[in-house]
Amino acid sequence: MSELQKSFAKSRLAKLPLQPPTGPSMQPLDEEVSHDDDSSSTSSTGTIVPSPSRQLFARPGRGSVQQTTLPWTDYFTQELYLTQIDTPNNTKITHHVYLTPPADSSSPLFVMHHGAGSSGLSFAACAGEIRKIIPKAGILSIDARDHGSTAVTHASDEDGGEGIELDLSLETLNRDLVFVVRETQSRMGWESLPDLVLVGHSLGGAVITDVARQGELGSKVLAYAVLDVVEGSAMDALQSMETYLMTRPSRFPSITSGIEWHTRSRTIRNKTSARVSVPSLLYEDPNSPDPTKPWIWRTNLSATKPFWENWFVGLSRKFLDARGGKLLLLAGTDRLDKELMIGQMQGKYQLQVLPEAGHFIQEDQPAKTAQILVDFYKRNDRSALVLPPKVADLQASAAMKKGAGIGAGAGAGASAGGLFKKI
Amino acid sequence: MIVDITSRPDNQSKPRGSDYQHIRNLDALIDQLSNCITLSEDDIERLCDQAREVVQDESNVQPVSSPVTVCGDIHGQYHDLIELFRISGPCPDTNYLFMGDYVDRGYHSVESVSLLVALKVRYPKRITILRGNHESRQITQVYGFYDECLRKYGNARVWTLFTDLFDYLPLTALIDNRIFCLHGGLSPSIDTLDHVRKVDRVHEPPHEGPMCDLLWSDPDDRYGWGISPRGAGYTFGKDISDAFNHNNGLSLIARAHQMVMDGYLWSHDRNVVTVFSAPNYCYRCGNLAAILEVDEKLNYQFIQFDPSPRTGEPTMHRRTPDYFL
Repeated sequence: MSELQKSFAKSRLAKLPLQPPTGPSMQPLDEEVSHDDDSSSTSSTGTIVPSPSRQLFARPGRGSVQQTTLPWTDYFTQELYLTQIDTPNNTKITHHVYLTPPADSSSPLFVMHHGAGSSGLSFAACAGEIRKIIPKAGILSIDARDHGSTAVTHASDEDGGEGIELDLSLETLNRDLVFVVRETQSRMGWESLPDLVLVGHSLGGAVITDVARQGELGSKVLAYAVLDVVEGSAMDALQSMETYLMTRPSRFPSITSGIEWHTRSRTIRNKTSARVSVPSLLYEDPNSPDPTKPWIWRTNLSATKPFWENWFVGLSRKFLDARGGKLLLLAGTDRLDKELMIGQMQGKYQLQVLPEAGHFIQEDQPAKTAQILVDFYKRNDRSALVLPPKVADLQASAAMKKGAGIGAGAGAGASAGGLFKKI
Repeated sequence: MIVDITSRPDNQSKPRGSDYQHIRNLDALIDQLSNCITLSEDDIERLCDQAREVVQDESNVQPVSSPVTVCGDIHGQYHDLIELFRISGPCPDTNYLFMGDYVDRGYHSVESVSLLVALKVRYPKRITILRGNHESRQITQVYGFYDECLRKYGNARVWTLFTDLFDYLPLTALIDNRIFCLHGGLSPSIDTLDHVRKVDRVHEPPHEGPMCDLLWSDPDDRYGWGISPRGAGYTFGKDISDAFNHNNGLSLIARAHQMVMDGYLWSHDRNVVTVFSAPNYCYRCGNLAAILEVDEKLNYQFIQFDPSPRTGEPTMHRRTPDYFL
């Protein structure tokens, strides 16, 4: 039995959700908290607000207070466990998803797929920001198999995943995503699927692109967005990936130290995001060889190596060929491979680069990512294309407004406002 | 390598006094740029001041007379720009119309745009430089020009000077009232050239509206107006270009903005032509470049060209991410 399988068998015992901290949730104290630099952000969690608790706890020993976990319930209204039996393999997979359903049948559902080693809570902060802009929008953020709280076990044996071969092939992840979306529809009693925007980060980008390309979710997929993965540069980085994995810590003394590592190493450059997402990446191993560091990664990324190439080969072509609006959102700098460069310069998709974000764009810059995703959705919304006003009309109305303004003061101003509305 | 990309006025026509000094200074700058040597910050400042004086009086639909060579995107590919001048003839012997996107992506945005601006100041009636979607503060901060300015000058002043100048560049040009030239394409807000003339252009291009569309739109096989996959501007069909050309007495819309493998591409039954002048775009796309030569009778021919041979250019640096799963 592989290390990974062992860890998953155990991870089922250490099931999420973790308890939120008791008492009023603490405000981060660190002044350099970069809760997205978007000044229009109205999130309270990242804002420095003087409060009694802040005064009381100001700089006690540096560190612990600002690293407290945030519960997923701050960002999603519910979670679902969706069971799927794989008869040929005699296994059972329990998909775990975070969900805020769309408020009505005309509102969109953003379907989020995280990257390898991450979890559905990687999109928590971004989900919150999306709903600040479109309060009726739904968000479905999944834990992929062998990630977060989704686990594969023997069909007959509730607790054991022993001996099950790890299968994280793109084909399998594709089927899982389609199953989860359909099963969520049936569980929620939706007559038809809402309009969908598929959003995938890194490996998740490869999965949603594959789903969009295969068209299994039909015409309900308005558009799809890939966050910070490019076939060419991913393939180039395959070698250095192993080195990277070896250099990161394998265990932590506590969840808070895990959060701290993510923010200090700038793996996640936003404390609020790390406080909600990191707890789902770790579980407490009761048989830890180092009892002072019982918290280990839920997903053994090294064990996923056999699948790396399979995830990314052909991604650029599929991204360009699939139907629907396409958005590529990159962190840092534009690292397009040849195919994407040509596609971009031919105007085949929307490219947006957030220079100030790291790889976990949606966690580093949740408000900006949300705004980009919402704008992207709105542009691709099927409801008939509404053309902008003509220059001639604008000028005519501006002239009328001006004339009215000179002539008659406040009353005329109001009527000019009405005229603008008509246009 | 010294390439004389300009032809000097002969001795008899030399102006006198301060004008003479001014022109000598400009010629010196052009010489320097012809050897790919960056100008000093102070030179750039003077140049941008002078260029603004020239272009701010130009129309949104700047009239241009044939014969003229029409060029598409350059994107900092300086050596290919020099090749272009070699092929179609030095300025001012040949008249030029550039349709934007001088900066970003290539290694020599600074030298390329400096050269074009210097030529504009020196020969204002012989060269027309329009605004492209990359002549923008926002875009240049992402795609290279800003970083290149920082790298070459150690501060952002030169970037500020150029991007301030970009606000004044005309949006479109009109060759002999027949060929309408612009960077991107048509706008659903605009039916006539007069509408273009009325657009207030002196600012950073907005995310939507007629000015944005002129810099961002693309022709498409589908009829009517469509949502642009780029996230800005629109796509327009043959019916739209038919109507626009007919209503405005045009024979052709020449535009750039899209990379085309042969350097030029007709669309809409020859209502529209795309011209792209950066060969092997970004040093890896493998495309030809082209320019469009228009003669006095408005006959036109395309000249395609390969990347200029050059040595000593760094291979395209791509930062490999250390984490990508």
